Amino acid sequence: MNWEQQLELQAWVDGELSEKDARRVAAFVEANSTARALAEELKMAKAFISANEPVMTVPETREFYWSQVRRRIESAEAAREVTPVTPLAFWWRRLVTPLSGLALVAFLAVISFNSFRGPALEDASRFMVEVENLSEDVGSISYRSQSENMFVVYLYKKDQDVAAEAQADSFDYSFFQ
Amino acid sequence: MATQPEKPEVPDEKLVRRAQRGDMVAFEELIGRHRDKIYARAFSMMRNEDEATDLSQEAWVKGWQRLKQFQGESSFVTWMTRIVINLCLDQLRKQKRQRAESIEHLDEELGGVERQMPTVTVNPTEGLERTELRARIDRALNQLSYEHRTVLILHEFEDLEYKEIAKRMECSIGTVMSRLFYARRKMANLMAGYKREEMS
Repeated sequence: MNWEQQLELQAWVDGELSEKDARRVAAFVEANSTARALAEELKMAKAFISANEPVMTVPETREFYWSQVRRRIESAEAAREVTPVTPLAFWWRRLVTPLSGLALVAFLAVISFNSFRGPALEDASRFMVEVENLSEDVGSISYRSQSENMFVVYLYKKDQDVAAEAQADSFDYSFFQ
Repeated sequence: MATQPEKPEVPDEKLVRRAQRGDMVAFEELIGRHRDKIYARAFSMMRNEDEATDLSQEAWVKGWQRLKQFQGESSFVTWMTRIVINLCLDQLRKQKRQRAESIEHLDEELGGVERQMPTVTVNPTEGLERTELRARIDRALNQLSYEHRTVLILHEFEDLEYKEIAKRMECSIGTVMSRLFYARRKMANLMAGYKREEMS
């Protein structure tokens, strides 16, 4: 049995194959003693592991454990209160920042288009383009190539502060429900 | 004299609703009920008492902070288990960056080690008391690398499909299949080895 066949056999044991593939592998297992032995071993391992999860208990009393959790909750809440993020600041970062980035791109596109068209195309260096970035959250790096008649502006998001990150954190634990 | 009937236990759902309204007493009761399960999951992944305690407590803090997101589509303890698993995975990733890859791991990537293992034909768990069986499984789990152990835990204890495990572990489905295959075969061989030790 090659490596792929072994993994496919395991997928069959785990019920991860389509009906058609499952029928094909079942026929193969029926006809091949090595495959049959391996399938039996995998089934046995799967059964004894899943039915016998080791049991553990917290090595602390309920009261002590809870007091530690409570202290952590309280200190996390206190930290949030120290650096409150107002709804206005939150939406500013969520909406206005990307919009200002887009506006900057549009502005540069217009400038670049006007600079490089027409008979003076061969001498792009005559047109000085100044990139002014007023955003605190979006940084920019520009690159100009005279030989290629090209002007590139790369926009990137600067680090956000920790509190805003916590607010903006979109990780959704309900995914696991 | 007739004994008084026992006070029925308040269901988790009710405690969760109370905790969602900010009732810490209800949340404490939920912790009291499920702390062992959450701790056990952390321990099975981290294999270290202090880390398991720390991460399980961190999971409860996150649970409290995100309680409003919990809509009851799964049980509360399943939701909490997923939180602690994510914290453990993050921690294990951090640790992995700090340590060198083992020779065994490299062998596994080449698909070599598991091919040399003999197929276990006799059930090595036969006749064992449940407590002894669990102790041996725990001992064998300890022998696996964290990648193999984690895949095994997510598949066998958490019942996750290959696709979900790959997503959680940030790897391909092929890697999940390969790791699971190795982990199962290694577990079967370790258990058979313990049986032989016992008989000799």
